[in-house]
Order: sequence, then structure tokens, then C-alpha cells
Amino acid sequence: MENYLNLLSHLMLLSSFVLMANKRIRSYIKTFRMQSALIGTTAALIGFESFSSSGRMDVLVVSTVIIALKVIYIPNLLGSTLENIDLKVEKDFFLNIPILVLISCGIVVFSYFSISAVEGINTGIMNVQIVNSISMILMGILFMISRKNAIGQIVGFLVIENGLFVTAMFSTEGMPFIIDMGIFIDIITAVLIMGVMVFKINEKFESADTNKLKNLRG
Amino acid sequence: MAELFYVLLQIGIFVLISPLVSGVIKKVKAMTQKRKGAPVLQLYFDLTKLLKKQAVISDKASWIFKASPYVVFSTAIAASLLIPVTTFVVPGRFSGDIIMLVYLLALGRFFMTLSGLDTGSTFGGMGSSREVMISSLMEPSILVSVFTMGLIAKSTSVYDIMEMMQSGNVSLTHPVFIMIFLALLIITLAETSRIPVDDPATHLELTMVHEAMILEYSGRHLALMELGASIKQLVFITLIVNIFLPHDQLITYTGAMGIILSIAIYILKVVGFSVLMALAEVSTVKFRLFSVPNLAALSFMLSFLGFLQYFVFGR
Repeated sequence: MENYLNLLSHLMLLSSFVLMANKRIRSYIKTFRMQSALIGTTAALIGFESFSSSGRMDVLVVSTVIIALKVIYIPNLLGSTLENIDLKVEKDFFLNIPILVLISCGIVVFSYFSISAVEGINTGIMNVQIVNSISMILMGILFMISRKNAIGQIVGFLVIENGLFVTAMFSTEGMPFIIDMGIFIDIITAVLIMGVMVFKINEKFESADTNKLKNLRG
Repeated sequence: MAELFYVLLQIGIFVLISPLVSGVIKKVKAMTQKRKGAPVLQLYFDLTKLLKKQAVISDKASWIFKASPYVVFSTAIAASLLIPVTTFVVPGRFSGDIIMLVYLLALGRFFMTLSGLDTGSTFGGMGSSREVMISSLMEPSILVSVFTMGLIAKSTSVYDIMEMMQSGNVSLTHPVFIMIFLALLIITLAETSRIPVDDPATHLELTMVHEAMILEYSGRHLALMELGASIKQLVFITLIVNIFLPHDQLITYTGAMGIILSIAIYILKVVGFSVLMALAEVSTVKFRLFSVPNLAALSFMLSFLGFLQYFVFGR
């Protein structure tokens, strides 16, 4: 059990690295879908264990909500937003991809050495997983600032949220049910609004590049 | 005496099986494209035919051009001796480790790139510069991944690493092994000039890397080059299947029966892995040459994460 959770948390970290090395917007969405599927599996594993040991149903319910929301609904929504935009490949980054991947390695080293030294976490469930999920959050932030395209930035935001969710799940066996649900409703609203925004930006500026937002239009 | 027998057995297995791997990969690729494809044993026919033919050598070529097929072939053979096909057969156990293996292959590659430059043809120089670029990008991740395996096994010998993986007190789904496995997979694809990095089935000047270097060769020199390349491919496949898919602990027989059974399972594993490699190859496209650094960065990252995981948390 612990071994599988370890493996899943490493695969999640790996999926953020794959996301970082991607260039095509369609593969951003695909990788995000895969990462969310991994998170759904993890939640289902933890939920099943807490159901069999103490009869709690809530983590299981949360895992089905994750699969419905983050594996199916949000990626489809982003995909349909992408249909309306002509940009398919991201061309110029602030830094090139190998350097971004190496910086992400640096982030992982940073969180491995800084967080594994925290004493409270060492007595918690499993610190490897917490370290991995915190590096996932930081890498989501890096992804967000390295991409100029609006859809890329939405995906970065969702990766940050995934990281937060996984951190909470690994450190406490799931947040209270009502808080999880509240966060999910927040995400749906945020993604819906951002999707409309991207569409509008694309319409007004003829591109989904957020750097163009600095240009003045008379 | 037993040592000599083991060495001969090991060389024999590598020389006899390595063309089969290329044949299986080609056949599976043809089948996925609904073609009939060349027979699985095609490379054997090609090699025997080439060995009978005379080699044509440019009169501008120096001794390097004539020497490098032999160097490439013999370094590939020497490298194959360092990776036992089963733990029952142990050739050269104390005479070399995994670092030796990496640099023996690098020596062969050095001569191959020199021979590409030697005749002064444009394609050769282009192929050599690309090969050097790819190999220098892949070298950090090879070394980090083999050092991590070495750290876990507390020895850099492939035999000891294999024995550690077979001992049953390591779990194969441990994140360290998964990360190193994926890193070695990318390295294998890059080092054996497979599709995301180089297309072995083309002679288009824009894309070829390995083919461009051996373009000037003919006859028995070409045969040695081809055989050396396929032995090198088998070396990497053997490294992966024997470390991450150990099978010797399942065999209870000892002596000759054990060796035969173990080699049979080994051949099955190699064929299965080459089918998987072919499937991976048809499901991707060849990368642009300037996207190869991205792949190398990903591979380095994988091996580095494995290393870090072991280093900080132990296993």
C-alpha cells in the first residue's frame, strides 16, 4: 500500500516534468488529464483504505468527483476553448525547455532537502510524498510563469491546485468533505471564467498570448 | 577452463542473437503498417552476403577508415562480456564494471565518428557531429543512472547489481527503480539510434545520424559495422531486461540444465522487449534534432530524481 502510494506520487511528479518539457497545447491538456487520473487513483486508494478501516465514505466520494471533474470535464472544456484559437504550438518561452527542466530539478532538490528536515512531517504519514507534492506546487508556479499562452497558464493554475490537493491528502488523509467540495466548486467557476476570458482575449487581440495584453489599443 | 567456456558462450549468444533483435523490430513495425515486411532473419542473410564481398575503400582514406570497423566490432564484443546474460554464466566478472562498459562503447563511437570524418564526404561529417552531440547529451544521464544502481548494490559491477535485484529483498515497483528504468529506456532509444532520435530505416540526408557515418563503407567493413551496432543495441537491451526484470531466482535447477533454461528465458525477454520497443517506435515520430536536448534533459531528470530519492530517503 505504502509502496504503491509512493510510486503514484513519483509518477505525479514525473507528469509535471513531462508537462514542463511539452510544447504543444494539446499535450498540455493531455498531460494534465493523466496527472489528474493519477490523483484520482491515489484518492481512491486512500479512500478505500479509510473506508475499510473506519467506515468513512467521504474520500471515496471525493475521488469520484475528481475523476468526473478533472479527468473528464475540465480537460474537455479546455479542449473546446483550444478549438477556437489558432495557436497550437508554443514558440518562444522565457527560457528554453532544457533549462526549465533543470530548474525544476533544482526545485525538487530544494524541497527534498528543506522539507525532509521538518520534524513534524517526519512523524506524519510519509514524507516522500509530501515533498513530491510540494515540488509539484512549485513546478506549477514555474510552469505558469514560463508560458506566455493563456491556456498554458490555466493548466499551470490547475497543476498548482492539484499539488495543493495532493499535499492535503497525503498529510491528513483528506481534508473535511465540505472544504474539498467548496474548492472544487471554486475551480469549476475559475476555469469557466478563465475559458471565457481566453476566448475574449483571443477575439480582441487576435492572439491568446498574454504578453500582448500590455499593448495599448485605441 | 570453465571461464573460457563462459566467455565463448557469452560472445556466441550476443553475436547470434543481436541480428534477430533488429529483425524482430523491423517485422513488428511492418506488421503494424499492414505490410508483410522482410523476414525476421534478413539481417543474417545481409551479413553473410556482405562478408563475402570485397570492400571498396576511397583512395583518400587513411588507416583510421580501415581500422575503425574492427575497433567498433571489438569494443562492442568487449562491452558484451561485461553484461552476463544470466547469473549462471559469469565471464570476466572481476575485470570490468559498468563504467568500463560505458567508456568501451564510447571508444567505439569515437572511432566511428572519426571514420565518418575521414573520407571528407559531407554526409559523414554531418552524421559525426550529430552523433557526438547526441552522445554528449546522453552521457550525464547514463552515468547518473548507473551510479545510482551501483550505490544501491554497493558495487559497480553489473553482475553484483543483477544479483542484488534477484535477491528478493528489493521491490521492483520501488520509485527509484521505476525512475532509473524510464531513464535507461530513453537512453537506449537514443544510443541505439531508434526513432525519436534517429531513424534507422532512412537514408534521407536531413534526418540520418548513424547511417550517415557508415555511408562510405561496403563489403566486410560494412558487415562489421552493422554487426557492431546491433551488438551494442543488444547490450543496452540486456542491461535493461536483466536488471529490471530479473528471472534467475525463479530457476531451481543447477548446472547445465539451469544455464539452458535461463538462456531460453533470457531470449524470450529480449524478444518481448524488442516487440515493445517496436511498438513504442511506431507510436512516436522522429524529433527535430534540436528537440533532442529536451529528451536528454528529461532523461537526466529521471535518473537524477531516482538518485535523489535514494540519497535522501534511502530505500
